[in-house]
Amino acid sequence: MAGDVKHDYHLVNPSPWPLLGSLAVTVLAIGSVTYMKGLFGLAEGTWWLMAIGFAMVLWVMFGWWATVIKEGRIGDHTPVVEIGLRYGMILFIASEVMFFVAWFWSFFEFSIFWDARVGHTWDSANALFADGLNRFAQWPPADVTTFDPFHLPLMNTLVLLLSGTTVTWAHHALAHGDMKSAKLGLILTILLGLGFTALQVLEYSHAGFSFDGTLYGSAFFMATGFHGAHVVIGTIFLIVCLIRMYAGNLTPQKHLGFEFAAWYWHFVDVVWLFLFAFVYVAPHLVHGGGH
Amino acid sequence: MPMDEVALDHGHDSHDHKPGFFARWFFSTNHKDIGTLYLIFSLIAGVVGYSLSGLIRWELAEPGIGPMLWIQTTFFGLDGDAAVTAAKHFYNVVITYHGLVMIFFMVMPALIGGFGNWFVPLMIGAPDMAFPRMNNISFWLTVAAFILAILSMTVPGGSAGNGFGGGWTLYPPLSGSTGHPGPSMDLLILSLHTAGIASILGAINFIVTILNMRAPGMTLHKMPLFAWGMLITAVLLLLALPVLAGALTMLLTDRNFGSQFFVPAGGGDPVMFQHLFWFFGHPEVYIMILPAFGIISHIVSTFSKKPIFGYLGMAYAMVSIGVIGFVVWAHHMYTVGMNVDLKAYFVAATMVIAVPTGIKIFSWIATMWGGSIDFKLPMLWAIGFIFLFTVGGVTGVVLANAGVDHALHDTYYVVAHFHYVLSLGAVFGLFAGWYYWFEKMFGIKYNSFLGGLHFWLMFIGSNVLFFPQHFLGLQGMPRRYIDYADGFSTWHYWSSIGYAITLAATLVFFISLAVAFIQRRKATESGNPWGEGATTLEWTLPSPPPFHQYNELPVVNTKGGH
Amino acid sequence: MRRIGVESVRHILAALSAAILAGPAFAAEPLDGAINMQPAATRIAERVHDFHNVLLVIITAITVLVAGLLAWIIIRYNKKANKVSRKFSHNTTIEVVWTVVPALILVGIAGLSFPNLYYQNVTPNLGQIVATSKQLLADGKSAEHQAFTKNYFPDAAEAGFVNVKIQGNQWNWTYTYADIVDESGLPVEFVSNGLHKGRASDPTDGLRLLSTDYPMVVPADRYIRFYTAAADVIHSWAVPAFSIKVDAIPGRLNEGWFLVKEPGVYYGQCSELCGVDHAYMPIEVRVVPQAQFDAWAELMKAGDFDAAAASVRQIASADAGAKFASN
Ligand code: HEA
Ligand code: HEA
Ligand code: CUA
Ligand SMILES: [Cu+2]
Repeated sequence: MAGDVKHDYHLVNPSPWPLLGSLAVTVLAIGSVTYMKGLFGLAEGTWWLMAIGFAMVLWVMFGWWATVIKEGRIGDHTPVVEIGLRYGMILFIASEVMFFVAWFWSFFEFSIFWDARVGHTWDSANALFADGLNRFAQWPPADVTTFDPFHLPLMNTLVLLLSGTTVTWAHHALAHGDMKSAKLGLILTILLGLGFTALQVLEYSHAGFSFDGTLYGSAFFMATGFHGAHVVIGTIFLIVCLIRMYAGNLTPQKHLGFEFAAWYWHFVDVVWLFLFAFVYVAPHLVHGGGH
Repeated sequence: MPMDEVALDHGHDSHDHKPGFFARWFFSTNHKDIGTLYLIFSLIAGVVGYSLSGLIRWELAEPGIGPMLWIQTTFFGLDGDAAVTAAKHFYNVVITYHGLVMIFFMVMPALIGGFGNWFVPLMIGAPDMAFPRMNNISFWLTVAAFILAILSMTVPGGSAGNGFGGGWTLYPPLSGSTGHPGPSMDLLILSLHTAGIASILGAINFIVTILNMRAPGMTLHKMPLFAWGMLITAVLLLLALPVLAGALTMLLTDRNFGSQFFVPAGGGDPVMFQHLFWFFGHPEVYIMILPAFGIISHIVSTFSKKPIFGYLGMAYAMVSIGVIGFVVWAHHMYTVGMNVDLKAYFVAATMVIAVPTGIKIFSWIATMWGGSIDFKLPMLWAIGFIFLFTVGGVTGVVLANAGVDHALHDTYYVVAHFHYVLSLGAVFGLFAGWYYWFEKMFGIKYNSFLGGLHFWLMFIGSNVLFFPQHFLGLQGMPRRYIDYADGFSTWHYWSSIGYAITLAATLVFFISLAVAFIQRRKATESGNPWGEGATTLEWTLPSPPPFHQYNELPVVNTKGGH
Repeated sequence: MRRIGVESVRHILAALSAAILAGPAFAAEPLDGAINMQPAATRIAERVHDFHNVLLVIITAITVLVAGLLAWIIIRYNKKANKVSRKFSHNTTIEVVWTVVPALILVGIAGLSFPNLYYQNVTPNLGQIVATSKQLLADGKSAEHQAFTKNYFPDAAEAGFVNVKIQGNQWNWTYTYADIVDESGLPVEFVSNGLHKGRASDPTDGLRLLSTDYPMVVPADRYIRFYTAAADVIHSWAVPAFSIKVDAIPGRLNEGWFLVKEPGVYYGQCSELCGVDHAYMPIEVRVVPQAQFDAWAELMKAGDFDAAAASVRQIASADAGAKFASN
C-alpha cells in the first residue's frame, strides 16, 4: 500500500479468488441438480459436473486460505486486524449455531407435538389418514428402534469431551512455547476426533431406522449427520494446524488459526452435548428404552 | 465504465492509484467499487423484477386470461387447453420470481450491498470494510445466485411447464416432489442457499467493520443512524438466514433423498416448514426496511438543518424492532390451525412493534419541526417515505389481529400492505438514498427536473397502483390469481393504470440516469452539496472520494454531532 | 385495455354509492367497485366487521395525523417561512407521550381483538349454551336472555351441529357429511368442481369463476362444524361473507364453525396457492331452510346428485312468502 497510510487496517490487494469461488459454486450447484434430477440433456445420476464443481470449491478454499496464511506471516494481521478476525470467527460460529437451531427445532416439534398432526381425530376411518394414524400414533413411530444412549453414544460423548481437554492442553502448551506438548495434544485431539467419526459410522451402521421413509430417521440423521460433518471439518481444520505447527508456522505469539480451530472444536463439542441430551437421552427417559 | 473517467478527473491525490480495469472490477477489494457493482447489479435485477410485475399487471388489467395466453401461443407455439394450462402455470411462475427477485436481488443488494458498502465505512471513518476480499465474494455469490434463479425459470418445474410456480414462500408440498418434481425447484433452493451464504458473509463483514473500525472518538452512541440500521440488519441476517438454510436443506433432501420432514405420509408436517420459513421471513422484512430507516434519518436531518431528534431513542427503537422481530413470525400463519392461545400471543407480540416504529415516525417529524427545510429531491422521497410507510404500517396492525386476518389473509389486502411498506417504503428509501448520495458516489450531479418528475410520477403512480388493492382485499379477492370474478374488475383495472404511471416514472428514471452521465456536470467542489445540515463524515471527502480514503483516520470530536 | 374517461368516472361513482348503500343482503359475491367487505352473513363476520370498522377509524386517524403534521411542517417550516432552523433535539415529555399513547391505543385494540379471536376459534359448547339460555329464561332475565340468544341461537344449539368434512384436492373440493348416511352406512359425499376453468369451452352460465356444479349445502340457522383436510398440497377454504378462512393441510385436520341465519348463496375461493388451477376451485355454499336441506339430503342419499343440486338452485326463504332467488 501507499507509503503514507497511517492506520493499521489491512487493505487487501485485488484477488481472483472471490470470482473463482462464485464460479465454483455455480458449477457445483448446477452439477448437483444434474446429479439429482438430470439437466441440459445430462441424465440423472451424472456425477462428473458436480465433482468438478466440488473440486473447484476445494481449490478456491485452498488458494484463498493459503493467501490468508501468507498475509498473516508477512505481518498484515496487526493487532487491530486480529481483533477483527476474532469477531469474525465468533460471528461465523453464531451463524452455525442458528443453523443447528433449525435441526433441533424440527426435532423438538416432531417429538413433542407429534399428536398435533395425523391422528387424534374423528376421522380415523378415512383412508387418507388411517395409515398415518396407525403408524404415527406414537413417537418415535412404532416401527423405529431407537439407540440406547448409554452404549455407543455415551462413549462418543466421552471421546469428544476428552478431545476438548486435549485441545485446551495443546493451546496452553502453545501459548507457553512448549511445542512438544502442543504437538502431542493436537495429535491426540485429532485422533480422538477421528475416533469419534469412526464410532459414529459404526453407530449408524447399526441403526434400526433409515434416513428415508420415516420422519424419525430424517430428523435424527439430519441433526447428527450435520454434526458429524462439522466434526470432520473441525478435524481437517486441526490437521491443517498440525501441519502448520510442524512447519514452524505457529508461534506462542501468533497462532490465530489454531485458536479458531480450537473454538470451532469446542462449538462442535457443545452441539454434541445438546444432541446427546435431547436427541438420545431425553426421549429414552421419556419413552423408555427401544421398542 | 464512465465512473472510471469521472473518478480520474478528481484523482489529484497522487497516491490514489487504482488497479487496471479488469482487476479493479472483477477482483475488487475496494468497498466503494463493490458498492457500485452491487448498485449496477440491483439496477439490472430491478428491471427484471419490474418487468415481471408488468406482466402481472398486464394480465390482471382485465378479467379472463389474456396476455399470458398470448405469450404461450405466440412464443411457445401452444394452443387450445394446453396453452391455457401453460398460461396459468406461467402466471404462478411470474409472481414467484417477481417476489424473489425484488426481495433478494433488488432491495437487499441495493440497500445493504450497495449503500451499506459505500457508506458504512465512509460514515464511521474507516478506510474500507473489515474483510475486503470476503466482501467481494458476497457480491459474486449474489450474482451466482441470481444466475441460478433465472436458470431455474427456464428448466422443467412441474407437469405444467418450466419454472417454479409455488410463490416466494416456497411452501411444501407444492414445492416438494408432489407439486414440482422437476429440477427447477432444486436450482431455486440452491440459488437461495447461495444468496444466503453471500448475505451471511456480508453480515459478518458489516458487524465486524462497525464494531472494530470506527474512527477514534466515535463511540457506538455517536455512530450515524445509517450505520446503526446496518448493524441491526446484519445481526438479523446472521441469525435468521441459517434457519432458512436449514429449512431449504430439509426441503432439498425431502425432494431428492427420501427424507420425510414435510411429507405427511411419513409423519412429517408441512406446517413445520412454514414455521422455519417465517422465523427467517419476518426478520427478513425488517432487514429490508431498517437500512431505509437509517437513510431517511440522515436526509431528514440534513435538509431540515437540524440534528436528529431523539437520536438514542431512534437507535434503540431499531434495536427493539430487531429483537421483537424474532418473536412474531407466526402472524403469517394464523389460518394453519394453530392453537388459539398461541395466536393470541402472536397478536400481542406483533402489535408491540408498532410502538418503536411510531417512535421513529414521530422523531422524524420532530426533527423537521422548527427546521428551515429545503425541499430538495432526496427530501421529497424521504417525506413520501414517511407518509407511505405509515399507510403500510397501519394496515400491518390490522392484519396483526388474527380475528380480522382470518378474513384478510391471502387476499389483496395483504398484497397492498406489503407493497406499501416494500415497494413504497423500502423502494422510496432506496431512491431517497440514491439521490442523496448520487453526487457523492459518482462525482456528477443529477438532473433535478427529471428527478422531480420521477418522484411525482412514482408517488402518484404507485398510490393508484396499490391503494385500490385494499378494496380488492376487503371484498375478498384472493392473492396469486391469474383470473378473477368479474366483481373485481374495476379496481384491478385502476391498479394496472397505476402501473402504467410507474412505467413512465421508471423510464424517466433511466433517462435521468443517462442524462446525468452524458452531461457530467461537476460535483460541488467542497464535496458537500447540501450545506450545513449534512454533518456526517462522507461529506468531508471529495466527490467521488479517493480510491482509498482516510489514510489518516479522522478523529471525531468528543462533543458528538447529534 | 378500456378507455379512461366517462366510464372511469362512472366506476368511481359506482364505488362510492356501493360503499354508502351496501349491497343487497344476500348477494354474497364480489361487487364491482365496492370498497369494503362483503355483507356479513355469519355472527363471526358481523363481529369481524364491527371490529374492523373500529380499526379503520383508528388507522385512518393515525394516517391523517401523520399526513397533517407533515403538511403543517411543509407549510410552516420550509426554508422561506422559517429562515433559521432551531437546534433542539430532545424533549422528554413528548417522547414519553408518543410512546405511551400508541401503546395505550394498542392495548385498546387488543381488548377488542382477543374476544373476537376466541369467539371465532373456540367451537361453541352447545350444551352449555342451551343451559345458560334456559337458566336466563327461568330467572326471568328476559333482557339478558335476549342479548345472549342474539349471539348464540339457543334453538339451533339444541338441534346440534351439522358436521361436514371439506377436503381440498387439486383442483376441487370434496364435501363429506359424516352424519348423513345411506342404508349401506356410507356418508353423503360429493366432489364440487368450478364451472369455469378459464378455457374457451367453459359454459357461459353461472357466475364466472364462482359457480360450481354441485354446491355445498347447509341448513340455515344451524351450527355447522367443519373440518378441513387436503389430499395433495395445501388449499384454504374461505368464504368472505362468513369471514372464514381455514387452511386445508395434508396430514392435518383443522376445525372451524359457522352459523348462517339467512338462506342465500355465498361464494368463496381457494385461498392458498395450490398450483395451476388455484384460481379455479371456487366454493359455493347454498344455505337453505331446514326442510329444503332435508329434501336435498334425501336426494343425495338416493344418489341423484343432479336432482339434489337442482333442488337448491332455487332457495326458499326461511320465512314463508319472500323468495331469495339466486343466480
Ligand atoms: C418492509 C417490509 C415490511 C414491514 C416493515 C412490515 C411491517 C409490519 N407488518 Fe408486514 N408483511 C410484509 C412486509 C413488511 N411488513 C410482507 C412482504 C408480507 C407478506 C408476505 C407474504 O405472505 O408473501 C407481510 C405480511 C404481514 C402479515 C401477514 C398477513 C397475512 O398473510 O395474512 C402481518 C400480520 O400480522 C403483518 C404485520 C405487520 C406489522 C404489524 C408491521 C409493523 O412493523 C408496522 C409498524 C408501523 C406502523 C404501525 C406505522 C407507524 C406507527 C405509528 C404512526 C404509531 C402509531 C400507530 C399505532 C398505535 C397503530 N405483515
Ligand atoms: C421489494 C419487493 C417488491 C417490489 C419493489 C414490488 C414491486 C411491484 N409489485 Fe410486487 N410483490 C412482491 C414484492 C415486491 N413487489 C412480493 C414478495 C410478492 C408476493 C409474491 C408471491 O405471491 O409469492 C409480490 C406480488 C405482487 C402482486 C400480486 C400477485 C398475485 O398475488 O397474483 C402484484 C400484483 O399487482 C405485484 C405488483 C407489483 C408492481 C406493479 C410493482 C412495481 O412495479 C412497483 C413500482 C416499483 C418500481 C418502479 C421499482 C423499480 C426499481 C428499480 C428499477 C431498481 C432501482 C435500483 C436502484 C436505484 C439501484 N406484486
Ligand atoms: Cu386450492 Cu388454491
Ligand atoms: Cu411478518
